Amino acid sequence: MSIQHHPADELLLSYAAGATDEAMALVLATHLALCPQCRRTVARAEAAGGALLESGGSAPLASDALQAVLSRLDEPVRKATPVPRAPSKAPEPLRSYIGGDLDAVRWTKIAGGISFKPLFQRGSARAQLIRSRAGAGVGLHSHRGEEFTLCLTGGYTDETGRYARGDLQSTTPDILHRPIADEGEDCIVLAVSDAPLLFRNFGIALIAKWFGF
Amino acid sequence: MNDKQSEMHADMTALLATVGAKRDRAAFKAVFLHFAPRVKSYLLRLGANAALADDLAQEAMLTVWRKAEMFDPAKASASTWIFTIARNLRIDAIRRERRPEFDPNDPAFVPDGEQPADDRMMRDGEDARLRIALTKLSAEQAQVVQMSFFADKPHSQIARELGLPLGTVKSRLRLAMARIKSVLGGEA
Repeated sequence: MSIQHHPADELLLSYAAGATDEAMALVLATHLALCPQCRRTVARAEAAGGALLESGGSAPLASDALQAVLSRLDEPVRKATPVPRAPSKAPEPLRSYIGGDLDAVRWTKIAGGISFKPLFQRGSARAQLIRSRAGAGVGLHSHRGEEFTLCLTGGYTDETGRYARGDLQSTTPDILHRPIADEGEDCIVLAVSDAPLLFRNFGIALIAKWFGF
Repeated sequence: MNDKQSEMHADMTALLATVGAKRDRAAFKAVFLHFAPRVKSYLLRLGANAALADDLAQEAMLTVWRKAEMFDPAKASASTWIFTIARNLRIDAIRRERRPEFDPNDPAFVPDGEQPADDRMMRDGEDARLRIALTKLSAEQAQVVQMSFFADKPHSQIARELGLPLGTVKSRLRLAMARIKSVLGGEA
């Protein structure tokens, strides 16, 4: 099934401009690996970047700069040896951030069939993987900030629709939702947010806080 | 843009393709003389000091030489391709972060379907039309586009600095993107 939920154009423009933080860039680039349509939008925004580079003025380099570069053209370049890769559920760039495929992930269980794996945090932006057992619910929650969730395996459904592999859901602070993983396969998502989730269930909220979820 | 500039632009793309195909040093020199000062200017606007901007512009041009074989003139113009190199170097060197990017050789990568015949990014005059379109954005749209490309600002920060609701910043960027798409064709 083709992807139904895409990032907004203004996010793709910021990604092309190089203005998104690393967590946001990771979730967008992973979506792009799965979505030719959004890659075309990014290519167009990059063309705008090229046009701005062309018309954005020029600053003369030091007088010896050209000579310095020409003298380095024959320097040997260490080429990264390509690592043979098996088909995987985690496309680049996500795979490198995990350090392998999704089955290499060491999960931390929190509650009710939910596990998570923090990937990194920069400032208030954090990226993590969340796994829900097939049929399990994450629990009613809202978000302090914006959250972006990219579905990698299985699928889930909430008040706003159904999300499957490649779909990217954007949630804003005003959305209170109760995602439930589809039956069949465990649902793994890459979630990027600029603030922790707000759970309505006190028990889950406490555990989530404890784990920095 | 006048005809001469447009011609120069097409030349640069052809020259860069020659650098890739033949490792042609004379062609590289011409590409360097045209683009290195533009890349330096881009880096200065993003807050690099003069010495760093000079170093990074040289590094960017060296990367251009080393990766030129991968440049595909059917997919992007020289300025677009060199912009992406400068952008990534800047994120790496100034922001000290990785630039996460997809890898078309990854087995999990979903390749493009058949490209529609009108989807060539470098149709004649397309880049020139795009540059003209960018000068015709509304002042409000141009401002948020400039802040995205030249100030490294995410939407929330642009909104704070301009004292605007986040939704307004997003919709201005979205309208600018719609304009870019309409000029380049193929609303995806």
